[in-house]
Amino acid sequence: MKVLIVNNMAPFVWGGAEELAVHLQKNVIAAGHEAEVLRIPFQWEPASRIPSQMLMVRAFELWNVDHVIALKFPAYLIRHPKKTLWLLHQYRQAYDLFDVGQTNLPAGPAGEELRTLIRNADNESFAESRRIFTNSEVTRQRLQRYNGFDAEVLLPPINDAELFGGGPVGDYIFAGGRINDMKRQYLLLDALSLAPPHVKLLIAGPPDSPADGERLRAAVERLGLSDRVRLDTRFLPRATYAEYLNGAAAVAYLPFDEDSLGYVTMEAALAGKALITTTDSGGILSLVKHGETGWVAAPDAEALAPVLAEACSNAQRAASRGAAARALWLSLNIDWPHTVEKLLR
Amino acid sequence: MKVVMFTPGLRASAIGRMTTLVVHALRAAGNEVTVVRSEQEALMAQVAHDFGGELLSWADQARVGAAIAGADSVVYQVGDNYEFHIGCLEWLERAPGIVCLHDFFLGHLFWAWAHRHPGRADAVLKAWYGDTVAASYFRHPDSASFIAATATEAPMTEWIGAMASGVITHSNWGAKRLCRACPGPVHVVPLPYNAPAGAMEPPNGDQRSFRVLTIGHVNPNKRVSSVIRAIGNSPELRDHTVYRLVGHVQTDTVVSLSGLARNYQVNLVISDELDNAALVNAIDQADVVTCLRWPSLEAASASAIEAMLYGKPVIVTDVHFYSELPDDCVLKIDPEDEIVSLQRALEQLYHSPELRRTLGARAREWAEATFRADHYADCLVNMAVDVSRARPALAAIDHLSRILSRWGASTDLLSASHTAEPLRLFTAEDDSSP
Amino acid sequence: MKIALCSSFVPFLYGGARNIVEWLQTMLEKEGHQVERIYLPEIDGPDLLFQQMAAFRWIDLSAADRVICFRPQSHLIRHPHKILWFIHHVRVFYDLWDSPYRGFEDDVRHRGLRDALHQADTVALREARHIFTNSQVVSDRLQQFNGIGSEVLYPPVFDAERFHSRGLSDEIVYVCRLEHHKRQHLLVEAMAHTRTPVRLRLCGSSSGAGYPDELSQQITRLGLQDRVILENRWITEEEKVAYLADCLAAAYLPLDEDSYGYPSVEASHARKALLTTSDSGGVLELVRDGDNGFVAEPTPVALAQAMDKLYADRGRTAAMGERALARLDELNISWSHVLKRLLA
Repeated sequence: MKVLIVNNMAPFVWGGAEELAVHLQKNVIAAGHEAEVLRIPFQWEPASRIPSQMLMVRAFELWNVDHVIALKFPAYLIRHPKKTLWLLHQYRQAYDLFDVGQTNLPAGPAGEELRTLIRNADNESFAESRRIFTNSEVTRQRLQRYNGFDAEVLLPPINDAELFGGGPVGDYIFAGGRINDMKRQYLLLDALSLAPPHVKLLIAGPPDSPADGERLRAAVERLGLSDRVRLDTRFLPRATYAEYLNGAAAVAYLPFDEDSLGYVTMEAALAGKALITTTDSGGILSLVKHGETGWVAAPDAEALAPVLAEACSNAQRAASRGAAARALWLSLNIDWPHTVEKLLR
Repeated sequence: MKVVMFTPGLRASAIGRMTTLVVHALRAAGNEVTVVRSEQEALMAQVAHDFGGELLSWADQARVGAAIAGADSVVYQVGDNYEFHIGCLEWLERAPGIVCLHDFFLGHLFWAWAHRHPGRADAVLKAWYGDTVAASYFRHPDSASFIAATATEAPMTEWIGAMASGVITHSNWGAKRLCRACPGPVHVVPLPYNAPAGAMEPPNGDQRSFRVLTIGHVNPNKRVSSVIRAIGNSPELRDHTVYRLVGHVQTDTVVSLSGLARNYQVNLVISDELDNAALVNAIDQADVVTCLRWPSLEAASASAIEAMLYGKPVIVTDVHFYSELPDDCVLKIDPEDEIVSLQRALEQLYHSPELRRTLGARAREWAEATFRADHYADCLVNMAVDVSRARPALAAIDHLSRILSRWGASTDLLSASHTAEPLRLFTAEDDSSP
Repeated sequence: MKIALCSSFVPFLYGGARNIVEWLQTMLEKEGHQVERIYLPEIDGPDLLFQQMAAFRWIDLSAADRVICFRPQSHLIRHPHKILWFIHHVRVFYDLWDSPYRGFEDDVRHRGLRDALHQADTVALREARHIFTNSQVVSDRLQQFNGIGSEVLYPPVFDAERFHSRGLSDEIVYVCRLEHHKRQHLLVEAMAHTRTPVRLRLCGSSSGAGYPDELSQQITRLGLQDRVILENRWITEEEKVAYLADCLAAAYLPLDEDSYGYPSVEASHARKALLTTSDSGGVLELVRDGDNGFVAEPTPVALAQAMDKLYADRGRTAAMGERALARLDELNISWSHVLKRLLA
């Protein structure tokens, strides 16, 4: 089968969705099909451009394609008799972000007209799609709430699962992922300062801005934790990241109210590492069950400190919880072969 | 080229007569023409002009549809008469084509159509002329006030212009509205007409009477009463003029005009409609033909052209189509000072047979060179080619418009600058042809 | 610089039109530029043309410093610094109008469409800061149909350093897709007229079994099985380098192609003489008869004579091979020249 993956393009910008499209392509090919990615430049500023961008996608003609998998607005407006949506994004500025005033759509009749246009075009595309998947529960709920369409959640799998083979329980907590306030690495530092001296922490990931990296470094200094905390804030090669993760005692990921499972959590579970998170981390909690697959603590240093200590002291517990995390993860069948099969059904 | 030509077919239609000339010219130039009668079905029993072939009826969906599907161009002869042009309206929307527009004022056509499509008519009025005009449009008490109120403000020219892929019309005065409304080309081409009886010599013989003739349906805008007054104001004209009316006239008009003529001591002869031969004879006998119009609603006057082709001195109102005629071919009178101006013109012609002769000869020479069917046919073919070039972009824009409509756009988003600006290349002039 | 490379494409159809874009991308990135490649779908159906053209008009690439456009209708994309490396028109509306390829009626409607397309194309072409083409043939067409001048910028092959010579064997090689318009059958026919023991190798994949089967039957019928090798399969890059390294000369004789074809440039890099015909089109911009190869009349006898000459006078053949490499410089067929011109 000839499968065309259709996504937006913001010229010269490469992010998570682009990565996902490439991995999807790779895995569709691995499943025995041909796959290409069509990236359509999308300009939404100013908002008055949006109608032309929608028409542009709608006016394209596809030939020599058996199946389309579309990921975002307006890419999913493209016409094809066999179109499956794996919805990463609608144009949220016409929906939930509009409701909270975070939008580039103008106030008044002009903005209303654009919202109507987007909603109707969306509904038309949803109705003409074979099946609709979303990449998270939140996206699924939004789709249901604003457009009245059902969808199945299809979580993006780990891209290079073979790297996460795990290993023996190490002597440090690994905290991966982007560094910014929402990810709350600072909370781990505060907790560490209350934990016994043998507890170590490895924080690795790109800071969203140089200031974010600086703040973290300064906190380590201020708390006098330089001999217990290792900071690696460069752009991490995948292999290094996997190495850090595979060698940990447990993996901590405690963002504030995250939509999805979190790649760090998924990778840690696959590697059979016990998971540490907080009660308010949102989607992460689907994988972290306190006492089973890891620890869930209140989001403060006093509650987290004993958790970090236990993970570093009790290797057996860390190992068994890690194994449970892995079993839970595998039971979800979130892998590329299953994903591809569902998308092409 | 294969052309489907919609036109009134019945003999009473001057437009039909004009179309026979065009159809023959198109065929002479090697084009295939299928003629479709556009008049109301009840009128189809009437004898038709000779178009030189089989005629289809607009109501014959299957055959007309098939003809259009196989045609290179569809042409619609449109005038301000619903009964004669209903077929054009029925097909124009679904089979876009070139409109040959005979009247800039289409109020009567629109009125009759509006009664069958009130919602759409209201939308059309609002879109072109605004809410105020739309609200009052159907409230005028009579025909005269209707025409007076709407002829300049809401002539409905745009309504037809917007539906056409191109328009050929027959004088300039009303073309601006067409240019604004029509997505395709708008050209002014002289109206083809003929003088079937051939060249006429100025009448000799009995010079005791000065014969003035007015032809056509006698309604107020033909200014018959003004002619009567002008003759009546002049002793010599009064004494020597026979003023003849040939054409359909209502009884009450006969009564009022006759009364007026009596008051002014004018020798008025009302002949009602004549058959062809008699009509030609009347023209032949005339010294002067008056083709006055006020208000002037049509694009061009077939009767004025016919009179000129017959080499007759013609008196016209200096307005619209008539203003565009050369000064040495006709006598033009000032509508603001109509009766005085008319009197002067008639006296001039009465006194000078030489003037009548030269005016008539010059008129015929010029009319024969100008109101040509072969030229019109060429223009039609060229416009069809122009339209074929404009069509692909227009069809694409139409397609995209429909998508926006389906998505609930309430304004014309396609004309918003970010959307329209990049599409300008479709209408950009290319002056680089190799 | 941020450079956007734009072209139209048909999903899952690969080939020359993509190579030129992707190789350029690699070379630009090597020079340190940031490159974004934009492939957009396009079908030549007459009734779909203008709506797709509108779509291309709405593409916004203002984030790029410069935009380079290749296949139609990518030249409609708007950008203040638009450069075209124009490969071909939508040919059924241009030079192939009066040909069996047209596929629709030559009537008023389609002629109108054709004229409207020419007009729109010309306006879009004029928006470009500079127009390059891949051959003189295409430049001539731009002048003839759109009244626009352009500069020929020959497309180089990728990683030309791979190609080398290991000497001259007995074998003339034609590494190219097996398709009727590439005319491998003409060479087979020619082999029957040769007087020297010169050999022939035809290798490449095909879009169907029809033509390769015909070739096979022809070889058998003419009793050439021991002198002609037919390999109907995808030839790897390594195999191609090897075939060219060892061959006596390389053939490339399609029927009236616009561009000279990568095979002729690859062979030139391998310092091998070229064999082509007088009606092959763009390749004649590269090959000069007697200089870097032979240009024969497109008949089996004339081709046979050329093949025999290549075999019989090896010294001359080798010298022509050296000239073939030099000719590439004469025509500026190099990536450094391409980058210099595109980034000027």
